[in-house]
Amino acid sequence: MLATIWLIDGILQLQAFFFTKSFGLQMISGMSSGNPSVIARPIIWSGAAIGHHAVLADAVFAVVQTAIAVAIAWRPTVKIGLGVSIAWAVGVWWVGEGLGGVLNGTANPVNGAPGAVMIYALLAVLLWPTDRAGQKASFLAARAVGAPMAKGLWLVLWGSFSYFAVLGINRSSQGLHDLITTEAQGEPGWVAWIDHQAASMVDHKGLAVMVVLGVLLLVVAIGTYLPGSFANATVVLAAVIGAVFWVVGENFGALFTNGATDVNSGPLLILLAAAYWRGSLRPDPEPVPEPALSFEGA
Amino acid sequence: MTNPGWLNDIFAAVMLVVAIYSAGRLVAGRAWSRPTHRDVDVAHVLMGTAMSGMLVSDLNPVPNGAWEVVFSLLAVWFVWRCYQFVADPSTGIGYDQHVHRLSRRLIHLVMSLAMLYMFLAASPSAVGSGGSMAMGAATGPATNFVLIPLAFIVALFASAIWELDRIGRLSPSRATQGQATPAFSSFGRGSPVVSDNSNVADQAMDTARAPWLAPRFEASSHIIMCVTMGYMLVLML
Repeated sequence: MLATIWLIDGILQLQAFFFTKSFGLQMISGMSSGNPSVIARPIIWSGAAIGHHAVLADAVFAVVQTAIAVAIAWRPTVKIGLGVSIAWAVGVWWVGEGLGGVLNGTANPVNGAPGAVMIYALLAVLLWPTDRAGQKASFLAARAVGAPMAKGLWLVLWGSFSYFAVLGINRSSQGLHDLITTEAQGEPGWVAWIDHQAASMVDHKGLAVMVVLGVLLLVVAIGTYLPGSFANATVVLAAVIGAVFWVVGENFGALFTNGATDVNSGPLLILLAAAYWRGSLRPDPEPVPEPALSFEGA
Repeated sequence: MTNPGWLNDIFAAVMLVVAIYSAGRLVAGRAWSRPTHRDVDVAHVLMGTAMSGMLVSDLNPVPNGAWEVVFSLLAVWFVWRCYQFVADPSTGIGYDQHVHRLSRRLIHLVMSLAMLYMFLAASPSAVGSGGSMAMGAATGPATNFVLIPLAFIVALFASAIWELDRIGRLSPSRATQGQATPAFSSFGRGSPVVSDNSNVADQAMDTARAPWLAPRFEASSHIIMCVTMGYMLVLML
């Protein structure tokens, strides 16, 4: 799944917009807005460099992301792929997403903040193909880093969502309404219709909605420390929230606007939730000779 | 806003190579009595040729209407192949990965439908004077159905990744081991060999003992086909 999402990202990078100067000079450089100068200056410099070498830069970006997908999917190189994906994700989070608005007060989990790309990195760490010696994990995410660390990372991620949900302008009465309305621009009619319906539902109710959302996100954050079935219930809630974010706040990752670089956080949150599902690990099967897969007769 | 011409040229060239290679597989499989997925190879020839023509309109050998008929028929064929499997899962006795055998048919059904979608949803303004078509975003009513190409993209890329994951386990030598007598036709006709027909069964066993024709190249062709088709669908989002 993770490799598939990386492959989608790599091919999305081949859209026409990203071969133009606007990608670097407007989209990338625009991420510097409101950030401290120590963060903003590298973004502006990178945006200018990308903008002035738009075709080459974008081709490289597409190749790197596609190569990450291939490396993750091909078993001999899976660790290399995951390692590169972590480094790439951190770089993109800084340069391409301006740290997800964390430092300039614009982060809102509803539209993917503090950055889908950090969830790529988190998934790469959690799905690292190594079992911890002497420990039996009860869910997939705990296999590589152990249950305490996996639960801690989940708590930090969803706890930060809860924090950002009630931060600054997000708790204003019109903040959520304006956010969703803005997202509707450039979308197909039916997506814009969903946005307008959702915006009208939260019109002048921004504070109440975001407080409720913040509480739900907090429940998800601590849910992984609850006993099995309760923990799974919060995992389902996390997946549902991810799906709602993806449809309403993220407009399916803005994939229909010809300007999306990734699928945004919704699908990644669902994938992450699946990794925390208790009972997601099946016992290792007895070793058997691998079948001759090419004999299919089909 | 259009994509760089060189990028489409590269993808078109790759598609032509895959189409020519798949045509070569059909000839080589028959000439050397080597088993192969004949219907899949035919599909790859047709899709590779059609996609190269969509990417570079000068390469389109036939009118778009003809391609629509071709891919409609191909979709019907793979529906039939799926039905065959569902109706009689014992098709291909001796082979135990039934789910995968169904998935191969399903993904080629999806690919046929994706080709059909691309021809039907393409912008009329992008249709060239020769009846061929350059790639571009879907327009008109098709823009309201953008979830369809998105679903195609996800299915195609998932299939490409799945195939890539298993490609290391494919090799001609291993394909001849552990499957002593798979009593089914391995020539892609898909008709199961009836075990009480000894002559036909013997022939099938003889051909089945022959190593599979370049399984890793076949898988690679499929991966490249999926990625290229996904790229074209992304341009139509």
